[in-house]
Order: sequence, then structure tokens, then C-alpha cells
Amino acid sequence: MLLTLVGNPVLAQGTGTPITGRVTDATGQGLPGVTVRTKENATAATVTDVDGRYKITASAGSTLVFSFVGFTTQEVRVNDQKTIDVQLRDDAKSLNEVVVIGYQAVRKRDLTGAVSTVSPAEASRTTANSVGESLQGLTPGVTVRSSGAPGQQSNIEIRGVASFISSAPLYVVDGMILEDPNTTTVNPQDIESIQVLKDASAAAIYGSRAANGVIIITTRKGKKGAPKISVSAKYGSQHIPKRWDVMNSTEYADTRRQQYTNAGLTPPPSVSTEFNPAINTNWQDLAMRTGNNQDYNVSISGGSDNSSYLVSGSYFQNQGVLKGYSFNRASLRVNTETKKGRLTFGENALFTNTNNYHPNRGNPFYDLPQLLPTVPVQDPRFITPGSKTNPWGYSTGTLDNSDVTYAYNPVAVRDLSQGYNNYARLLGNGYAQLRLFDWLDYKLNVGLEASFDYNEDLRKDGIFSYAQQPELSYIDEDRQRFYNVLIEHTLNFNKTIGVHNINGVVGYTQQTFYRDQTQARKTNLQIYNGSYLTEINAATGTSSASGQVVRDDRLRSFLGRINYNYDDRYLLTASGRVDKDSRFGPDYRTGFFPSVALGWRLSKEKFFKVDWVDNLKINASYGVLGINTISSFQNVGLINISPRAVFNGDRLYTGAYQARLYNANVKWEERKETNIGFDASLFRDRLTISAAYYYNKSDDVLINRVLPLISGNAGGDYPAGDYRNFPPENAASISNRGFEFEATYRNNDNPFKWSVSGNFTTIKNKVLSIGNQGVGINYIQQGSARSQVGYPMGQWYVLKELGIFQSQEEVNNYKRSDGSLIQPFSKPGDIKFGADPNGKGTINNNDRVYNGSPWPTLQTGLQFNGSYKQFSVNLQMVGIFGVTLYNDVRRVLDSYQNTNFRQGINPWSPTNTGGTDPRLGIANGDTGIATNNTPESSRWLENGSYGRIRNLEIGYMLPKSLLGKLRLESARVFVSGQNLLTVTSYKGLDPDVTGNGILQRGVDAGQWPSNRIFSIGLNCGF
Amino acid sequence: MKKFIIIFIAAMATGMAGCKKSLDVQSPNAPTTAIYWKTADDAVKGVNAMYSTFHRAGLCRWFFFATIIRSDEGWSSSPDANLQNNFDLFVNNDYNYGNYTAIWSDLYIGISRANQVLDNVPNIDMDANLKARLLGEAKFMRGLFYFHLASLWGNVPLQLKSSTTNDVTPTFNRSDVWAQVEKDLTEAATTLPQNYTGDDIGRATKGSANALLAKAYMQERKFQAALAPLQAVIQSGAYSLVSNYQNNFLSTTEFNSESVFEYGFALNPNDNHDDDTQNSGQDNLNYGSSLPPFFAPRPIGFTDGEARRWLVNEFQKEQAADGKRDPRLAASLLFDYTDERGPDYTLIYGETFTKRYGSAQKLDVWFRKMLNDNNGTATGDSFHSPNNYRFIRYADVLLMYAECLNETGATSQAYQYVDQVRQRAGLVALSTTRPNLGHDQFLAQIKHERITELTGEGHRFNDLARWGDLGTNLSATDAGFRNFIKGKHEFLPIPQQDIDINPNIKQNPNY
Repeated sequence: MLLTLVGNPVLAQGTGTPITGRVTDATGQGLPGVTVRTKENATAATVTDVDGRYKITASAGSTLVFSFVGFTTQEVRVNDQKTIDVQLRDDAKSLNEVVVIGYQAVRKRDLTGAVSTVSPAEASRTTANSVGESLQGLTPGVTVRSSGAPGQQSNIEIRGVASFISSAPLYVVDGMILEDPNTTTVNPQDIESIQVLKDASAAAIYGSRAANGVIIITTRKGKKGAPKISVSAKYGSQHIPKRWDVMNSTEYADTRRQQYTNAGLTPPPSVSTEFNPAINTNWQDLAMRTGNNQDYNVSISGGSDNSSYLVSGSYFQNQGVLKGYSFNRASLRVNTETKKGRLTFGENALFTNTNNYHPNRGNPFYDLPQLLPTVPVQDPRFITPGSKTNPWGYSTGTLDNSDVTYAYNPVAVRDLSQGYNNYARLLGNGYAQLRLFDWLDYKLNVGLEASFDYNEDLRKDGIFSYAQQPELSYIDEDRQRFYNVLIEHTLNFNKTIGVHNINGVVGYTQQTFYRDQTQARKTNLQIYNGSYLTEINAATGTSSASGQVVRDDRLRSFLGRINYNYDDRYLLTASGRVDKDSRFGPDYRTGFFPSVALGWRLSKEKFFKVDWVDNLKINASYGVLGINTISSFQNVGLINISPRAVFNGDRLYTGAYQARLYNANVKWEERKETNIGFDASLFRDRLTISAAYYYNKSDDVLINRVLPLISGNAGGDYPAGDYRNFPPENAASISNRGFEFEATYRNNDNPFKWSVSGNFTTIKNKVLSIGNQGVGINYIQQGSARSQVGYPMGQWYVLKELGIFQSQEEVNNYKRSDGSLIQPFSKPGDIKFGADPNGKGTINNNDRVYNGSPWPTLQTGLQFNGSYKQFSVNLQMVGIFGVTLYNDVRRVLDSYQNTNFRQGINPWSPTNTGGTDPRLGIANGDTGIATNNTPESSRWLENGSYGRIRNLEIGYMLPKSLLGKLRLESARVFVSGQNLLTVTSYKGLDPDVTGNGILQRGVDAGQWPSNRIFSIGLNCGF
Repeated sequence: MKKFIIIFIAAMATGMAGCKKSLDVQSPNAPTTAIYWKTADDAVKGVNAMYSTFHRAGLCRWFFFATIIRSDEGWSSSPDANLQNNFDLFVNNDYNYGNYTAIWSDLYIGISRANQVLDNVPNIDMDANLKARLLGEAKFMRGLFYFHLASLWGNVPLQLKSSTTNDVTPTFNRSDVWAQVEKDLTEAATTLPQNYTGDDIGRATKGSANALLAKAYMQERKFQAALAPLQAVIQSGAYSLVSNYQNNFLSTTEFNSESVFEYGFALNPNDNHDDDTQNSGQDNLNYGSSLPPFFAPRPIGFTDGEARRWLVNEFQKEQAADGKRDPRLAASLLFDYTDERGPDYTLIYGETFTKRYGSAQKLDVWFRKMLNDNNGTATGDSFHSPNNYRFIRYADVLLMYAECLNETGATSQAYQYVDQVRQRAGLVALSTTRPNLGHDQFLAQIKHERITELTGEGHRFNDLARWGDLGTNLSATDAGFRNFIKGKHEFLPIPQQDIDINPNIKQNPNY
């Protein structure tokens, strides 16, 4: 605790006799910085020293007042005592909290920048794949979107999105900087604190990579005292909150026949002449199950005067609600620290091993509702004897292919294509700290993140979808090595002279990221006794290999920060960082990222005499942050040697050329951030409020310069035309602005103690510039999402559905101003789309308009905690409002082509003119139907607002009387329900959609919905 | 205190030592453009890359939907409505239709490869003859890619230099595109060799350039201009018709004496992708053609594209000299009577037609030339066929020459070239059966000769366009043409995404 304010004992001038004493907290530790004064003479005041001792002169009959923010003020009447010792009760612990802000820890109350602290107790109540996921709704300014797939990362954004390439925040775990946001490795139970740095002032010390915000995780350390053992266990059952309500085979056959009849065509035999009601495949039943999660933790910790230790082990496993999907993680943590004289040595080390098993192709949440109920899963008639094309007879449509879907048969995929990922990771740091002077410390910190990754792709013989290329069986093994080494030298200083306190840090750091990859594969697996041998040496076909250095990035930085505090009233923070990054060319490598922040504690001013305000501080900051979102070797032109010419019969000859265009002038992105806010605690700290307004503007934002196909640009690792193949360019600008508010009210006066916290966030995102995308083009279009200058990113830009044509006459009267028909091919029952009256020709892309936003207008979170005697209750709620989502699964289902139908569709027909869905028909050769199904239309947009009971937990603390008998120090049992209720009008499975990249953030292409989880758990201390 | 300060300085020094590792990190994965294009080997590899374009999916698969299925010889009964609408029925409501843009994009990828060769190889210090040949190959290939663009899209941007991120190349009129094609091919024809040996067999030759040049002239109806290059091909003596017609369509008889230019394909049993610029998994590149499953009979393939039945009748209009059926019919089409004895004898990938489809009459007809069923033992077909696409055959050259002679008033001289083609097929010489035809009658005969000789080889749409036959009148034999709008559907829509990025690119008329 380098920076704790330490007052020297000052003899307070006054009349009377000198009195000495010591002020301690509830544990008997001396409390430094406590103000001691006499009630009668406010100017005669002193503060306690580092051990909590004070000396004051007071006359008998006067009253001594001991006050310290965060503690209940105490008064003691002076009679003839020479010594008055006082124990202060802490009132609102949070106010005195220490916050880690990067290379320093400061008291939360002294913060001048925007830093959110998340209670790990609150965060760890939910069953989450990652620390990030558990933050949802707990703190303002942090947008968390998650899917329910085992081992899946959440999508986390801090104060909006200001990049076209990456919005991922930087993670710092115990001082080790991770760029890889793979936080699944950190066990939530090991976490002591989570801070989120949101503005430039807070994050500038991480300069070059802080622009998307920083999440600082500090893990638990041992505390002085006898060894403590704690054990916890939790079991949860997982359920799909909602399924697609699709037709059974009879309903499907009826609808399909109708469809063909309407089109004047002969229906396929499978729904007519050969319809077999005995086949009624419920594909969702076949693929889904009740999942579960289990979480076990054991830790032992303790310490002496000079050293502390904590060792913890954990095992987490998750069987997904889809068959074939599971995840598990085992981890071991060892944190120690030892002091000798002026030296402190310590380390934090985490070893984890994760396993993720999953079918390797397709997405059941996209495919399942489409699959035809009239088709059996398997049928021997699909087998061609002697052929390896479909040896298990999995269906991919009807036998005669007259009725098919393009969706994957999930039972077949599960059997035939198996994926497995194993990551063995080491994450940790070691440090040595030397106290050079009382006010100056030197610290050497060496951190390492290493990962040994193994990805296996096992392919058995057989096909699982219609029109699929038969593949040879194969085993594919991909091994990768990753390391991230950080070396930091820092000097921390902290000096108080009278009412002036100056503290800060300067340092030099260097960091290296490296990843390489080797992949090998061999075809033709051998089968013995009905099972496959799955090692490369057991395969008899052709082998292939691939390998590369995926990244090799180096970073050198100088950093510094100064905090100045005058009399606890005026606070100033200035910080900056100079970064040099190898991913940029020599001329563009260096970036300087400064920031400044001011704080004013009004409540400390003499003129401020409001009894019910305990603390009021306003603060403001401005700074420039940087970010680099490009990968290695992107600023040079590279020759691609993948092409192969075929000459001389079937011989191959290597070709080489520059496939991908590049930009040598890439440089740092800059983000200018302004933050204005206040923190207040009121009514004897019962109510705490903080609020902030922020405005972030990014400049020189790297954007993949979209090139026309005529450039012939082919990136190599993505399909031609994929924007990721395009060269990055510092050309764009994006702003985010909004309000954040959070408040907590505590009531601990009665046996029923409770608190309620609420927060909300608004984000107004706006694209300010998009660079040169071509003459007159100021937008990027991806699918139905357009990011245009002056609008938020990824707005829906689509043909607008106006309704359904009720008659041929209406079709014939729907004209442009030049008299031409807009939808001449449409029939009654087709969708009428809005068109520009002055446009030309039939309905087309030029008739698209803006129609809704994937950005919520308001994000909210609410937590309630209550306790009565041994019982406790915790409730977490989340509300997201004003968002429009693109339901891509419904787009397929409601196209009526090669898919099952949703229950309850209401197609228009001459006898059902009130139908709200378009007519049933076949799109082949029918432009009317094809137009109804245009992907870029408002027909697939839905209101994605929702309110959700994220978690409800009820706990019971075993009473002391029982604990003694059980030889336990503490014990608590709890039950909880997660995602118990979601109120929404969204028709998909879950409105909490992570989207399809940054530019299509509102697309739901069959996302795994957040699971409903019922858990029971136990925590014990020995 | 001193001790600590020493430790401190030592620690700082140790830390800084790591600094020496440079911030200039070179990619160990690939050479940079700065060190490339220096040697003859670099030049050869640059040229090889152009030929690799042929097995990209746009060119080896979707191209044939745009040429064969879109014409009146083919149609689609695909369950994929987009495929049917865009490739068979002239219904286009998505100008970014992915299978159109795949062709467009691959053609321009090929052009960018050729442009890099043409920009860089002249500066390489290397053998002058080899350099001239390589530049000739690059011009040929650029001419070929623009030939396809002019055929399919008509008015397209002309990229003639290595692409940069700042290009805003405008649309050129189709006549300008043809002019560029003709310029490139003319220059290529002067420097390319007559033939190759060994490892170079399959590269573009003088004959390839002249034949393609003539095709370009013919599409512009510049028949007079087309005569010279066609004569050059014929008089070179480098080509002759193979006696067995079917040898033009087997993977075992590639680059034979009739072959003027082929797209080389080979089988990779370990393939898993067909992007020849994907760095990872180069060993898994599909350098075969993925067309066969799309054209093969169900359930071997998907029959996303199949042949019209009128083609069968066209073959049966005339018997061979020996009184039997035209032998080209069985080599061209798979249907119930591919074997003259009928469905009980016709083999569909090793099984009789009757066994596969039952005894009820089934009128489907499939294009056979690019399939691999012809060896009699094949039981399936795959996405990686090694069977080369014979883009230009000598028989085609002979028929082109005959057509040009007829169009330039030399009908009587044209007979001999038609007769070479007919007699190889076992038919009686035209000079015997129908002597002294006038221009129009001879043209009608040429139309018959071309469809019987060249069915399912991708030339039909251009033939119809050249003859001015595209229109709703074709709906009698190919129902898709009832949606055909003259002045619009001769060409495909320019990809909207390119117009969105570069407004100097203009959409085709009436889209």
C-alpha cells in the first residue's frame, strides 16, 4: 500500500492538556489519516500517523471528534484522561477501497478518472464461461453480450465501439498484460477485485493498447494468520430457455402441398403420394438435452509477518444443452509474497488446462429448425454398398432428393465431424520490489503468458448435408505455441509535505508476443472392430502439412504518472506513455499518449456545510489513447506462393505473385477521450451515487480499405471479397458519447439488512469518417448493415416492408413517378416494399432505406442484496432497450424454401386475406416469392429489447452452534436460478445477441441462447 | 543502501539488454515484394500463377453455369432457387449474387496476376527468349480473361496495370474491351512458340493466341479480321483432329493433337479448399475441377445443371455414313438411350439406367463431356476432377474458319473445313450431301454443325449472341428464355458491390 496517505503526527494547538492515543479499526489495526479535533474548536485538529497514533491538546469538558471517511464518526468526552484510544467502526467499506489503476494502487475516493469496481462476490454468483460474461449488468459503461455455448467467450465493449477491427479491451491480471482476451483461463473464485478503466486518465498508463478500455483483475493473496482452508462446490442443470416452434410432419406435409398447389406444381411424393405419417422427426429433440455444470474449488492460504501464500485448485465442467458439446477446465494457482528488510519478492502463477469438445461443422441453432420432419435421421436406403459416400445412411433430404434442406443433419455431424481443443496455459508474473527510500520504491516485474494449443479435427467417412462433397476420412492436428513476455521496470514515489501529497510512477517496459503453428493431416483412417484409429500414423492416405509464424510483435514503452493531492480537496493526475510497436514501419512506430485529470472534493471545503452529504467529489479528464489493431507483417507486401499450375499431364508447378495489396503507412489509431463525473455519498454513506458523461472520439482509425473485386485482391486466408483481406488504412473516425449512472442504497439498521444498486448506460455511437471508400461513398455495407458517416455503426439499411399486396390491381397501381411498375412480378399475397417514387426500374437496391439500429438506447442493470439472520438473497437483473435485431434464422424459416415452417405462420391467400405472412409458393422462377425473401429487407428485423432476471440466489449461513459440531469455521449453502425469465417480443431464441462482427453487431445467425441454469452450492471454511 | 542501488542498476541494465532485439521484424513466412521479381525463376512462377486461376471455383464451376446452363442447351432443376433463377431463368434480383461475383472476381484475380507479370518481368535480367515467351503468355492470359468478361458482362473496367488501393478504373465500352483483347492476343501470337515439350506442355501457344483472337473478332462480327489468325492456326500444321472423338473429353488423353488450349486440372485426394491464395494448407488445395457433381445425374451429383432434350433430336437429324447413329451423341450426353439399345443397357456410373431410375420413362439428359463416367468403372464423381477443360479444340477452329469464310462470301471454300469435322465423326461430307448452299443455308448448317460438335463445351451462348439468336424465340426449346429481355439479358449484371465502391463503374443497360 504505497500510496496510503500518511500524516505525520502534528501537535494540534489548543488550550488544555495534551492527550495521546491510538485509533484502530475493528481488527485492531492502526488507522492512519483519521482527523481528530475538539468539537468546541474546529481549528485545533490533527490527523493520526501511520500507526493510528495522535496527540492533541484539549481541555477537560471538551469533546474529541474522531472522523474518517468510510467510518462512523465517534465522539469522546474529555475528562481527565491522558490517553484516549478509539476503535472506529467502518461504515461504508467501499469508500476506503483501494483500487488498482495500473502500476499503482490508490484509494477509490482519490480517483480522478473513470474507474468502475466490480464486486467479485457479485460477479461470481452467476455461472459464467468467463469473467467477462459475469460482468453483465453489474457496472455501467460495460456492454457484455454472451452466448450459451460451453467455453465460449463473451463480447465485451467498454463505452461503445470506436474501431472497425477490434473492440476488445485490454486485460491485466496481477500486473501481467494480456492482449489475448482469453479470460476463460482465470478462475472467477480466485479473483479478489475487478476494476474497469474507462477513460483516458485511468487507462493512459497502458497507452498504446488502452483505447478499448482496460479490465484489471487482481487475484486473492494469503493474509496473515493461521492457515485457512476453504472448499466450495456448485452443481447446476442447464436448460434451453426456448425452442423454435416448428411444424410436425403432418402439418409440414399439408403446408408443403399447399405451397406446390399454389405454384401449380406437383408436390414431392414425400409430402403427397408417399407421405408416411409414421416418420415425424423432431430434430430439436434429437440434438438437445439437459446440460449441466459443475464447479469445485479448494484453497489454502495464510501468512506470517514476512510472507503470505495462497494455493488454490479448481475444476469446472460444462455439458452443453446440445449433445456433443462440452467444456472443462482444471486450474492451479500459487500466489506468494515474501519480505526481507527493504526487499519484497513475490509471484503469481496460474496453470490451466482446458478441453473443449464439439462437433466441428455447422451450427445446430441455425440448422435444427430448418430440418424436415418428414425425413428420418438415418435410413439404410441411403447407403450405396461399397461406397464411402454415406456408409451410415444419414439423411440429407428425401431419398429421391425431391424435398431437401441445405441444413446439416446434426446427428450425422456429431458422429462424423468431431472437434477437440486442448489449451494448456501458464499465466503469471514474478516481481522484486526494493524500497530505496521511504518515499521511493523500485520494482522489477517479469510476466509470462504461455499457451500450448492443440486443435484436432476428426473426419469420418460420410456426408451430412445435401449437395455435400464427399470427403476422405482424415485426422487433422494443429499445434500452436504462444508466448507473451513482459519485462517492466518501475519507480514508485510517494511524498507528503504538509497538506501536499505527490505520488506517482515512472517506468520502462518491453513486451513480446509470438505465436507459431504447425498443422498436419492425413487421410483414410482405418476402422477396426467398428471404431476408428485416429492417429496420423494409423491413417493410410495422403498427408499434408502447414506451418507459419502467426505473429511476432514487439513493443517498447516509457510510462509515467503523477498524482497530486492538496489537502484531500484538490486532486490532479497527469499521465503519459510513449510506445514503439514493431507492427508499424520505422517512420510510424512511435506514439505518445498523454492525459490529465482533475478532481475537487467539494465536501471538504469549509463553505460546504451540508450535513447529509458525506463526500462529494467532481472530476474531469481528457487524454489521448492509442490502439493498434493490425496483425504482424501487414505493412509490407508479401509474395503468395500458394497458386499451382497444372501442366504436362497432371503435374503441378508452383506459382507466385502478390495476392494481397498492402499499405506501408499504417500507424497508431488515436482516441481522444473526455470524462466529466461526480461521486457522492449521502445520508451517512447510505446512498452512494456516481455519474459520468463521456465523449470519445477516435481518429486515424484503422479500417480495412474495401476494394472492388476488379482489384483482384485475394487475401489468402479469407474468401475473395472478404473485408479482412483488404489492406488496413488509418482513415476513419468514430465517436461515442453517453451517460453512465450508478447508485447504491444500503440499509443495515435492522436485522433485515438490504442494499439495492442500479446502473444505466447510454451510448450514442457515430461514424464521423470512413476514409476513401471510393468516390462519393461514405459507408461500408455488410449484408443488411450499413456504417455510414453521420450514423451509428451497423445501422439496418434495407428495403422497407410496407405490407402485403391484397389484389392484382394494387400491384398494377404500384408505380414509379415515370409510370413504370415497381413490382410487376408480384402477385396478391406478396410483400409490398417501399420504393423511391423517383427511382428507376423494378424494386432494387437503390430503394433501400435506414430502418432501425442495432444499438440499444438504454442499458440497465439492477442488483438487490438482502439478508436476515442466516438467510441471504441476491437478485441480478438486466434490461436492454431500443435495439433492433436481424433474425437470420427466421429469414430462412419464413422464406418457405428448403426448410420446415414455423408453427402459426399466417400466409396470405385469396381465402385468408388477413394473412400477415406472404403467400406460400415456390421461389424457383417466381420473382415475386424471391423478392419476398430478399435478405436485405426489414422483414427480418425485430425489436430486440428485453428485460431479464439474470440471477436469483438464496443462501443460508449455518449458525455458529452447528459449525462447532461440524468443526467448520464457516459454511453456507445456496440455490440459484440463472436467466429465469426474459421478457421480450423477439422471436428468436435469445435477444442477447453477440452479432456477426463489429459491422453486423445485430445479426442473429442462430446464436446459442443463454442457458437457464438451476444451481445448488456449498461454501465451507475450515 | 549502496548495495541496493547496485542491485537496482544491475536489474535495470539486465532489463534494457533485452531491448537490443530489433523492432524491425521480418516475416519468416513469405518473401516480400521488395526482394521478389529479380530472377527468371521468379518470372516463371509469376506466370504459373496465372494458370492456377483456372481451378478457382468461379472459373471451373460457375463459369459453366453462365455459359452452358444460361444458354438454350442447358437448364436447371436445382432446389436452389437462386441458382435456377440467375443461371437458367433470367431472373436476377440480386446483383451481388455470389456465384456471379465468383466468376467476376476470379477473372479479375487472373488479370491482376497477368498485370503483375507484365509490369515486373520486363525489368528482370534474364534470357531474352524466355522473357519474351513469358510476356507473351501473360498477354494471352490477360486477353483470355477479358475475352470472358467481354462475353459475359460486356462493358467492364479495364485494369491494365498492377492494382493499387487507389484505383478507380471506369467502365469501358464493350468495343474497347474487345480492342484490348485483340491487342493482347495479337501481341501474344507474335511471341509465343508453336508448341512446347515436357514440363511446359499446356502453356499458351501461338495457336492458342490466334484461335482466341479469331473468336474475339468473330464475337464482334469482324469475320474478315478473323480469317488471318484462323489461317495461321490451320496452316501451322501443328494440329489435327483425333480419330476418336471421345478422346477430347477423357482425363487420360489430355493435350492431344486436337488441343489448342486447355485448362489444366489435376486431382488432389487431400483437398479441402479451392482458394489458391490461401497460405495455410497449400497441400490441401483443390487443383481439380469441381464441376462434375453439379452436372452429374442424381444421386451421383446434384444435377444443378442438365441438358435439354432437343439436343438429342439434333444429333438424330442425320445418320452416320455407316447408317448408325452419330457417335458424338453418346460422347456428349447421358440419357436413357446413351446406349442405342436403351435404358436397360445405358450405364449411369456403372449401373444401368433402368436400375437407377426404374422403368418409367425419364427424360433427363446430362452433359457428359466434363464428367468422369466415361471410363466405364467410375461409380461416382467428385469436386476435384482431373479432367481438363478443352477450351479451344481444333474442330472448333475449323468450324470457326468455315463460318468466317461463309460470312466473307467464300462459302464454297468453307465446305472442306466442315467436312473434316463431319468425316471425323463418321458423317458423309457436306459437299456430298448438301453442296452449293447459299450464305444463309450454309450458316444454318454451321449452327447445326457447331451444336452437334460442341455441345456442352461452353461456346453456345456466345454462338447464339454472335448469330443474333438470343431472344424469347428460344423459349420453345428452353423455357427459361421466356423471361429473356433483349438489350438486358445478353449480359450479366455488374456486381453491385463494385459499383458501390467505385462509382466510375456503371451498371449494364436495363439492370
